[in-house]
Amino acid sequence: MHGGETPRPPFDGPVRHVYVHVPFCRARCDYCAFASVAVGGGGSATDVPRLFDAYVEGVAAEWERERAAHDVRRLRTLYLGGGTPSLLGPDRLERLLTVFRPHLTPQAEVTVEVNPEDAGTEFAAWAAGARRSPGSGALRGVRISLGVQSFLPELRAALGRTAQADPRAAFDRLRAAGVASIGLDLIHGIPGQTPELLAGDIATVLDLRPDHVSWYELDVAEGTALARRLAHAEGTAGGGRRAAPVAAPADDVRAAGYRRLVRALSRAGYDWYEVSNFARPGHKARHNLACWRARPYLGLGPGAVSTVGARRWTNSADPRAWAAALAAGRRPTRSVEELDDATRARERLLLAARCGEPVPLEAVSAVVDPDALAASAGAGLVSVRGGTLRVTRKGRHVADGLCVRLFRAPRLRG
Amino acid sequence: MAVVTPLDHIRNFSIIAHIDHGKSTLADRILERTGTVAPRDMKEQLLDKMDLERERGITIKSQAVRIAYAARDGQTYQLNLIDTPGHVDFTYEVSRSLAACEGAVLLVDATQGVEAQTVANAYLAVDNDLEIIPVLNKIDLPASDVPEAEMELHELTGATHDEILTISAKTGEGVDEVLEAVVQRTPPPEGDPTAPPRALIFDSEYDQYRGVIAYVRVVDGHFDRRQLVTLMSTGQGAEIEELGSFGPGMTPAERLETGEVGYIITGVKDVAQVRVGDTITDRRRPAGEALPGYKVVHPMVFTGLFPTEGDKFEELRDALEKLKLNDAALLYEPESSVALGFGFRCGFLGLLHMDIVRERLEREYGLELITTMPNVEYHAHLTGGGMAVVRNPAQMPEANSIERVEEPYVTASILVPSQFVGTIMELCQGRRADFVDMKYLSPERVEMHYRLPLAEIVLDFFDQLKTRTRGYASLDYDYSGYRASDLVKLDVLLAGEPVDALSLIIPRESAHQRGKALVTKLRQKIPRQLFEVPVQAAIGNKVVARETVKAVRKDVTAKCYGGDISRKRKLLEKQKEGKKRMKQLGVVEVPQEAFLAVLELEPGAKGR
Repeated sequence: MHGGETPRPPFDGPVRHVYVHVPFCRARCDYCAFASVAVGGGGSATDVPRLFDAYVEGVAAEWERERAAHDVRRLRTLYLGGGTPSLLGPDRLERLLTVFRPHLTPQAEVTVEVNPEDAGTEFAAWAAGARRSPGSGALRGVRISLGVQSFLPELRAALGRTAQADPRAAFDRLRAAGVASIGLDLIHGIPGQTPELLAGDIATVLDLRPDHVSWYELDVAEGTALARRLAHAEGTAGGGRRAAPVAAPADDVRAAGYRRLVRALSRAGYDWYEVSNFARPGHKARHNLACWRARPYLGLGPGAVSTVGARRWTNSADPRAWAAALAAGRRPTRSVEELDDATRARERLLLAARCGEPVPLEAVSAVVDPDALAASAGAGLVSVRGGTLRVTRKGRHVADGLCVRLFRAPRLRG
Repeated sequence: MAVVTPLDHIRNFSIIAHIDHGKSTLADRILERTGTVAPRDMKEQLLDKMDLERERGITIKSQAVRIAYAARDGQTYQLNLIDTPGHVDFTYEVSRSLAACEGAVLLVDATQGVEAQTVANAYLAVDNDLEIIPVLNKIDLPASDVPEAEMELHELTGATHDEILTISAKTGEGVDEVLEAVVQRTPPPEGDPTAPPRALIFDSEYDQYRGVIAYVRVVDGHFDRRQLVTLMSTGQGAEIEELGSFGPGMTPAERLETGEVGYIITGVKDVAQVRVGDTITDRRRPAGEALPGYKVVHPMVFTGLFPTEGDKFEELRDALEKLKLNDAALLYEPESSVALGFGFRCGFLGLLHMDIVRERLEREYGLELITTMPNVEYHAHLTGGGMAVVRNPAQMPEANSIERVEEPYVTASILVPSQFVGTIMELCQGRRADFVDMKYLSPERVEMHYRLPLAEIVLDFFDQLKTRTRGYASLDYDYSGYRASDLVKLDVLLAGEPVDALSLIIPRESAHQRGKALVTKLRQKIPRQLFEVPVQAAIGNKVVARETVKAVRKDVTAKCYGGDISRKRKLLEKQKEGKKRMKQLGVVEVPQEAFLAVLELEPGAKGR
């Protein structure tokens, strides 16, 4: 109901959204640039349980600390992301949830990211009934985001995902247990992913009919194992010695694949509500949407980012350093960025451009070049109506270039 | 008190040569061997003061230096060497510098032979009644062909084998003979020491502290410090604050005598008041007649200069004002373009002059500029009478109000090895050039004359000439008046909007073909945009060619959570910063190079 809300500066207002970063993984995926610690087989090594427990304690401590430091109201959304939150197991997840349960609104959305190999029957049962509504005591499950990447084992292998649990089976288990909102996390543009293989993944998704789909183009971040492997593939094209490295699909192939999946999901009744996100009616990820609407949010856990008002800060990414800081009564902040009004307005615009969210013109007019706006409107990339700016679906395909275009030229003094 | 050199011990001479034939090297060697410059102060191209001159190996401003030379006859002579620009853009300056001399060393690279500028400069020297001392340079190089070059020099100047000196300015071989020849063959100045004083201004330079420094040759009488003088073309009065000779470097003196070369500072601040070619005389005892040959040079080539950032307009104006202080030929007037905003329409003597000014604006004043396609000055004679002077194609009056359009023509002299005669004829035919005549300088070398529109030269005639003759051809040209041509204005439309800065005036007969080539080139130069952009060329309302710049299909990163937002925003802000070199035309972003795209076209070219 954004239309009824009074426009307020981006990231201003009370905090109603919390992100918890769970920085543990079985093994680090080759494309991952997130803060994560590989802990092998999930709880088998002796110090791993202690690490996990310390982590849960740390989040509780950080939450208490932050809750006192900011104007925090009942939370509308809570998101456990990672890393691999499901690696903590149902018991620890339950303990984590217990920390937040008293602070959630009755309709709060709680999301947990899950890897197929963790989505066993026990987990599925917990997920389906984990959330007791504080008033009524009625059972409401969490929202699940299942990390599929691809339904094809060879493409998962190309990403360095070694665990080979069948994502389809995991999805079925979650559904069977009664999880009411399941999203799938997929990747396109994977080395070796031909248009035909992508079509196969699209068909599987449409067949499963998840409530939500996040489908990201593979981003080969610098310094990742995948970046090194792809660089190697290019260097030895045609004559690879080992395990025949495969190059990523060409830009235009990736662009065509992206258009194709947008078209297919839209036709199947999914709302393409963000560059890489699709939802059936009533299943948009409210947490992410809140961030994209530039609502204030707190990020807890190692490497988590928070933005409240004019300040954005990032926690120390190392779980031990993070925990040690909290144990010593210090904030685990690693870096802070102050956002001036113009910066916040530019972010508001760049986020809105990605989801086609309407933005009051007055909120961004200081940073938007009116000529560029008129030109972009003329070209059908944005629509301006009743004092509101909205980036069209056409514009969303080129949201980055469009923002560059719309931003006023920086004024350099002196 | 300085010793006065008797007139018959003064020799004023200059070195004239085609570019790269070794003029500056010979000058350096002469300064060295006569001890004019101490070895520790010696550096290459000593007389070329500007960085640009050194880097490009060209001379832009004239310089002078006084040399005391102990000749083999036991006498010491005062030699004044005047270093001149060698480029066709500065022909007038060269002619005035030569007018200040009695002799000229005509320097020819023995590996190259006579070139177009050699011929042009030789004629200038003859016009000014100079004694020509023909010299073949670079004889140390294995590629030198002395007999061939000698024959060409003989053909050009009538000089005999004995009169032609052979030297290597690099090694110093033969340089003494050049100095001897200057003393022996150059006549001493002929002025009248008792007549009312007259001095010829052969160059001028602006100094921010002292005003204009006039480089002069005293023809009659003498000038003293504190003397009241008049500039004869304008009647401008002034008092001599300082005068002196070049040692090199300004060396103040009490008096400049008849026949001497030196400088005069009067405190006049405006270089346009101290024009090259003007005569300085005494205010109380003025000369009856000014020295011959004065004219005000007019710019021949015009271009729009626009700051890439709109708010740099004032800075550009200030920079042009400063350059103008030292460059009377530079013309600029404010211009506003729908496409490019506020800038200046600038007039130059030629393309080199334009290049130099633009480069100095960018280097010395830190300006980023968009340069529009250079053009000549058109005269549109209107049906209702009267004439419109068109220096900007966008300002060409409506076709139906024009009776005829005239454009400037030049007579071009092209020197080329004889095997390229056919090639040159073919090139010239495609360039609306009328053949005048041709002359064999030797069995291997031909001098061809054509009359053609200056606009063709401004386009890329010289590049084509060089390309098609593997660099062997050389070109010189002389302005020869206005002639009527069948010309049309070709407009370019981007996304349906005319872009005034891309308008061209071209011959009607090639309008379709050039329109097509232009839109193709623009399509290549304009990167993909957020939406499809039609590129059209039109004459009046009639579109003669069309291309399309395709739309970007995807330009958005997949993820944007948490810390991504800062990263993303910074990246986009950085990209915005990078777009400063792009010009926003309506809905289209156009890189600067696109405005010169037309220079890369090849009208009438039939393969290379």
